[in-house]
Amino acid sequence: MNTLAGLALRLGKMLLQAAAIVVLVFLLARVVPGDTVDVLATQGDLTDAQQQVMRHELGLDRSIGAQLLAWSSAALAGDFGESIRFRRPVAGMLATALPTTLRFAGMSFVVGLVIAFGLAVMAATSGSRRTTALIDAVNIWSIAFPTFCVGVLGILVFSVWLGWLPVLGSMVLPVLIVGIDSAGQIVKPLYEELREATAAAHVRTARAKGLHPLRVVVVHLLPTALPIALTLSGLVLAGLVAGTLTMEVLFGLPGMGSLLLNAIHGRDYPVIQATIVVIAVALVVINALTDILHRLIDPRVTA
Amino acid sequence: MTAAPLLVVRDLSVLAPHGALVRDVAFEVAHGRTLALVGESGSGKSLTALATMGLLPPGLEVGPGTRATFEGAPLALGDEPAMRALRGRRIAMVFQDPMSCLNPFLRIGAQIAEALQRAGLRGATARRQRTLALLGEVELADPAYARRYPHELSGGQQQRVMIAMALAGSPDLLVADEPTSALDTSVQAEVTRLLLRLQDSRGMAMLFITHDLALARTLADEIAVMRTGEIVEAGPAARVLSAPRLAYTERLVSARRILLSAPATERPGSDEPVLAVEGLAVDYPGKGLFGKPLRALAGASFTLARGRTLGLLGESGSGKSTLAAAIVGLRRPAEGRIRLPGCTLTAERPTIPQALRRRCQLVFQNPAGALNPRLTIERLAGEPMRLAGMSRAESRDRVADAIAAVGLDPALLGRYPHQISGGQRQRVCIARALLCEPDLLVCDEAVSALDATVQVQILMLLRRLQQERGFAMLFVGHDPDVVGWIADEVLVMHRGRIVDRCAARDLGADDRHEHTRCLLAARPDRLAA
Repeated sequence: MNTLAGLALRLGKMLLQAAAIVVLVFLLARVVPGDTVDVLATQGDLTDAQQQVMRHELGLDRSIGAQLLAWSSAALAGDFGESIRFRRPVAGMLATALPTTLRFAGMSFVVGLVIAFGLAVMAATSGSRRTTALIDAVNIWSIAFPTFCVGVLGILVFSVWLGWLPVLGSMVLPVLIVGIDSAGQIVKPLYEELREATAAAHVRTARAKGLHPLRVVVVHLLPTALPIALTLSGLVLAGLVAGTLTMEVLFGLPGMGSLLLNAIHGRDYPVIQATIVVIAVALVVINALTDILHRLIDPRVTA
Repeated sequence: MTAAPLLVVRDLSVLAPHGALVRDVAFEVAHGRTLALVGESGSGKSLTALATMGLLPPGLEVGPGTRATFEGAPLALGDEPAMRALRGRRIAMVFQDPMSCLNPFLRIGAQIAEALQRAGLRGATARRQRTLALLGEVELADPAYARRYPHELSGGQQQRVMIAMALAGSPDLLVADEPTSALDTSVQAEVTRLLLRLQDSRGMAMLFITHDLALARTLADEIAVMRTGEIVEAGPAARVLSAPRLAYTERLVSARRILLSAPATERPGSDEPVLAVEGLAVDYPGKGLFGKPLRALAGASFTLARGRTLGLLGESGSGKSTLAAAIVGLRRPAEGRIRLPGCTLTAERPTIPQALRRRCQLVFQNPAGALNPRLTIERLAGEPMRLAGMSRAESRDRVADAIAAVGLDPALLGRYPHQISGGQRQRVCIARALLCEPDLLVCDEAVSALDATVQVQILMLLRRLQQERGFAMLFVGHDPDVVGWIADEVLVMHRGRIVDRCAARDLGADDRHEHTRCLLAARPDRLAA
């Protein structure tokens, strides 16, 4: 009962956060001087009267509150308006871009977690110097080299010089680069946590029971580090949402990043607005999911 | 009766990178008999136990000259696969702090079933039945216990679960490392009785590690006394305890005896009250969003005069620490008032004004946690001086005086807390409190974390300092001997209420409250009876 109440509370908080983001994004787009019609007017010749008509058609002459209400009720129904540049429904554009980004981010996430957990568990249980050195290397790599720099170099080496991969459209290189980068962000704290957990009294109890070392790691050691691991994974996932955007542009993947960049170039406000809202809401949902999973995993967290 | 030796250990040494922590330890445990390893903390008795299990912490290893046999067969204590084959089947272990020794993420039943599976019991149903049987054997008969998580059990219940888990493989030898030290006195008694009964019914041998000689007397057939990594004296329990050969053993044995022969000298107390508590109640916030607040303390009223000591006696959860915390302004009273020199604490004004805080000082249970590990002893003890705006030179002199007054060598002033012993750390905490020249010293379980010999030293120190300086003292504790020895008057607490109050010398009287008698009956030296 208590768990359910806590769950409901967390979901309520998530909805509030999402609503706040929608309002904020909407207002930001309106704070920028000049609206869509001004942008179009600079490109073609539009008389004042024509501009007025367009504003009326687009609903830009109404109050901000009314616009917000109209936009969000339509968005809830899956209607994000029409792209000004392409004269196509934004929802459809999102629907074609989203799967690419999800695939890219998901694969990078898995690669990152496998690398991070693999190295951390190996180092914590064996105490091998070589593995801890590798952990440091991956960690420094992710701090020192931004993904887009590594991306450019990667294209140069693997696509231009060696010719192993196509320059555009292949996911192999970006997934590896973003995956290693994500692993580097979490592997160090994960390792510290696991190393501490190996000295935990209940892990010693598990060994005193004569359990197989593998069982000690999987059943008794890993769950101890799980709350931290979960929090870290949440952070990585959040970081991925931003990280994949630049890489999509660099590697020519037709995802949300490319969509957003093109929209920004063309001042395509409905598209910008919708993309940012989708990304932000995804972040809020990830955050809430991490919290909820944390509750489910650790029986001591009740409220 | 001479039983065949089950475990024989010869020339055991435990090596750390900088030297040996245990040297040339030799002992044997016979079938069905109990060997108690006793000694002060740091004497190497726990390391000896862990080495016997092959569970030494990383960085430590068993020395090359070590020899051991188990049931006559050679046993390589440093060989992990060989030791793992024995653990959980032939040898099992129970540790000190049961809360942290159980996996917080798994239900009790799953943790015991896992040990059964390891012991070779096939089939989930069989394991479930056996789990319930084991829980019944440790007196947790209700099947509901199997579905609980460790944090839903009390400390005593957790330790019973640990014992059930150790019994899963029907071991020949149970290694018990201070299994009752973290428990309340009465729970300690229950767990000790349980261990005795189980050992008897199963014919198990036991290697029992303790710093409590009274407990060793109750449990052990043989006793080996350890000091700085070596066994200095060994023999039949009765002989070692009644006629110790070494002064060190004598000190261990007599530590409790001093407390039992309390010199109930009347001390020159005055009538001037330093502390008056009137109808005090304290609430803890309830669980969840709409939970009702939990009343941890209700209807507490008493006074404490200058130069006198009031003892607060009770088990964990009885509200005694809550009461102490409210008195020094760390907990908001829900009802009632606390009168201190210069101020009165109520629900509306629950904290002591900054300027008056020095007059009310607190000494905690765990001195390691009460001292900042990154400051030297001099800085730590001198903190109150610096707050009072005293010059460095003056502060240094005062600190040196206070350090000498608590019986510490001034050479320790430049050290850090981890470089001194637990008893020395508690002396630093007391020196720090005294430098504030308090009217009231509140000691919350101030000696519970210390060895019996050190306990007595600290208690004597507190008593001497009180006679010299005349502060009033509120002494919180769970050990009737300790509280009865230091206090003039004792309040007995139970479930948030003061259930009994009497002069300390009358604590053992027959007409006391039922709960008081209960606490006194659970003392380790009364268990044998």
